[in-house]
Amino acid sequence: MNSLVQRFDTNNALSEIKRTSAIIEEDGDNVSDLMWGSYGGFGNLATGIPKFNIPAVPDPSAFLRLHTDDHTDPSCRIKIQHGTTTLAFRFKGGVIVAVDSRATAGSYIASGTVKKVIEINPYLLGTMAGGAADCQYWETYLGIQCRLHELRNKERISVAAASKYLSNLVYSYKGMGLSMGTMICGWDKTGPQVYYVDSDGTRLKGDLFSVGSGSTFAYGVLDQGHHWDLSDEDAQELGRRSIYAAGHRDAFSGNTINLYHVKEDGWKFIGNYDVSKMHYEGPGDIPGAPGHGYGYSIRTAGKSSADPPTS
Amino acid sequence: MSRSYDRALTVFSPDGHLFQVEYANEAVRKGTCAVGVRGKDVVVLGVEKKSVLQLQDPRTVRKVVMLDDHVCLAFAGLTADGRVLIDKARIECQSHRLTVEDPVTIEYITRHIAGIQQRYTQSGGVRPFGIATLIVGFDPNDTRPRLYMTEPSGIYSAWKANAIGRSSKTVREFLEKNHKDDMTKEESIKLTIKSLLEVVQTGAKNIEISVLDGYNKITSLELSEIEAIVQDIEREKEAEAERKRSRLAATAAGQAAMLSRSADQSEGQ
Amino acid sequence: MDSSFAITGKGYAIVAADMTVSRSIVKMQYNEDKIKVLGSHLLMAFSGEPGDTVQFAEYVERNIRLAQIRNTYPLPPPSAASWIRRELADSLRSRSPYSVNLLVAGYDLSTHEPKLYWIDYLGTMATVPFAAHGYGSYFALSLLDRYHDPEATVEEGLATLRRCIDEVSKRLVVTPGKFKVKVVDKNGVREVEL
Repeated sequence: MNSLVQRFDTNNALSEIKRTSAIIEEDGDNVSDLMWGSYGGFGNLATGIPKFNIPAVPDPSAFLRLHTDDHTDPSCRIKIQHGTTTLAFRFKGGVIVAVDSRATAGSYIASGTVKKVIEINPYLLGTMAGGAADCQYWETYLGIQCRLHELRNKERISVAAASKYLSNLVYSYKGMGLSMGTMICGWDKTGPQVYYVDSDGTRLKGDLFSVGSGSTFAYGVLDQGHHWDLSDEDAQELGRRSIYAAGHRDAFSGNTINLYHVKEDGWKFIGNYDVSKMHYEGPGDIPGAPGHGYGYSIRTAGKSSADPPTS
Repeated sequence: MSRSYDRALTVFSPDGHLFQVEYANEAVRKGTCAVGVRGKDVVVLGVEKKSVLQLQDPRTVRKVVMLDDHVCLAFAGLTADGRVLIDKARIECQSHRLTVEDPVTIEYITRHIAGIQQRYTQSGGVRPFGIATLIVGFDPNDTRPRLYMTEPSGIYSAWKANAIGRSSKTVREFLEKNHKDDMTKEESIKLTIKSLLEVVQTGAKNIEISVLDGYNKITSLELSEIEAIVQDIEREKEAEAERKRSRLAATAAGQAAMLSRSADQSEGQ
Repeated sequence: MDSSFAITGKGYAIVAADMTVSRSIVKMQYNEDKIKVLGSHLLMAFSGEPGDTVQFAEYVERNIRLAQIRNTYPLPPPSAASWIRRELADSLRSRSPYSVNLLVAGYDLSTHEPKLYWIDYLGTMATVPFAAHGYGSYFALSLLDRYHDPEATVEEGLATLRRCIDEVSKRLVVTPGKFKVKVVDKNGVREVEL
């Protein structure tokens, strides 16, 4: 962030001062340039963006891969949770966020009750795909920064700014093995917003995203059923049904569905739904539900394509 | 290892003063005057320009500068210090757009500038900025004009109208007497020029006026426009003086008449 | 997979870039603007490593704007392109280089001519009458060698550009989809529908 300042800084007097303050820092009061002038509303961090210790090896990301790549080496020491389906979309009534709850380590289902929606604060949600720890840690960290922004500027942070903060943060770790694919969802002055942020540093603004191994299956249902004027009930149903579709088709997704709805006054948890139950019985007697199971054989029970002559 | 305190120029005096900061304030008081006036939906900056020398290019001497599309700054004090501070502020404006995807609010950039000024009162090997600034503009998606002032100590505050620099006390008192809420654009410009004329003897050619009437709407007045307003003000003053004179004459005449009448009466008794 | 093209003509330059952002086999976005407007008469199309592209483009955008605020006048296209190239070249020799390919197009108000610069992530810069990046360049460059006319009107220029896009759509395995097209001439920058 301050590279802009440094790079453009050709003024000799300025660099003189910078040198002086560098000397002062040596004295141990641990105050960086960022402490005073706050850059982009996020300044005042005593030491800028915090840096973790990186393994003392020539190539940290290769080192990480060596120990975490369960694809080439099933007996690797650290197995990172990869399989997931998450989705979020915007419509006139706000943002729907839906995720599955399965955690897999290799071919083993490590957990069926993972919380993949991270409640950053009462009006911002983040989703989790890729490294669970990376998402959990950095999105919680994002929550801290959002609160600080709010205190400094007497105004809630925009979804654009929050997502950009996360994007700049993960970008600064690019190539060091972070693995995240997340959607930052919320409602600000400009209305409902969804941003896709991943560990490549890609950040996209959009109406509809799905991330994870089951995302293609979710997209199939989601894209076809999505339009702006969806009612709240229909939108929630669409989110539920899309995650069900992925949970059904993708081996690395499933167990249960967590559904959230972000409205003007913040997010609300709608419910937790069992994928198997959705298959056979559907979500039950709630508005927008079809009244039967989502499963193909359930939905088409009693129907036949046979076309015998009707003489 | 060397400690920083022995390199600090800004250390407290035993009675709690920071002399360097006070000297910086002195440098501000020596600088040319700058005035900011907030109207209903307009904010005006006026500065006293030093006369340019015969062979000097007047365009290279600027006291009102743009920080971003919607923010203007005027300063009083050491011009060289001003340039450095302005550059830092301009970088921050762009940096803010880069990281938050929104332009800065006026309060934000004021706070940032004041923060830099404060830093230079508490670090070793540096001296404070010898400038005070007036920062004006409009926040994004907002119609209310904003006017802030910063000082070498790092204090910042919001104002309806204020002056910094040479004779700022006189001008501020003038503004206190004459400022009204909800002034129109014309009234605000006039008040700015009028208040500057309190301390600028040489008139229009040494006054620079910038007008902000809305987000991203910054205009500088031409010399001819300022001259017209100055003439207008002078005419008004003339008329006022004329009225005063005639009123004085009238009262003098009345008094004289009264006196003579009473003299007559006393004579008659 | 991204493709970008640019051509110059009589008093104008046109820049076109595809609008998709993909991640493995999924199109994550199909209306992304990959052409930054850097000033009243300056455009920059960017492509390359995800993350780097937008990060670098926004960095350039803000610095070009800063230069204009500092100096009152905008950088003319040759200076802007040189500065951008320098940034890429310096970045290449840093710990984390930007892998970004660029097409910088502008209208030079002082010489009254369009300017087009082809810049790659290694910091190579070439002044060219037409340019392309990505897989599209394998089809478009020969086509433009054959059909480009330095004195073409905007309409003719757009027609030539349409040829490029049609060719790519026809022959490239993965069709790039929609293209965003921007024109810069003496009146400034405008977006056009193809």
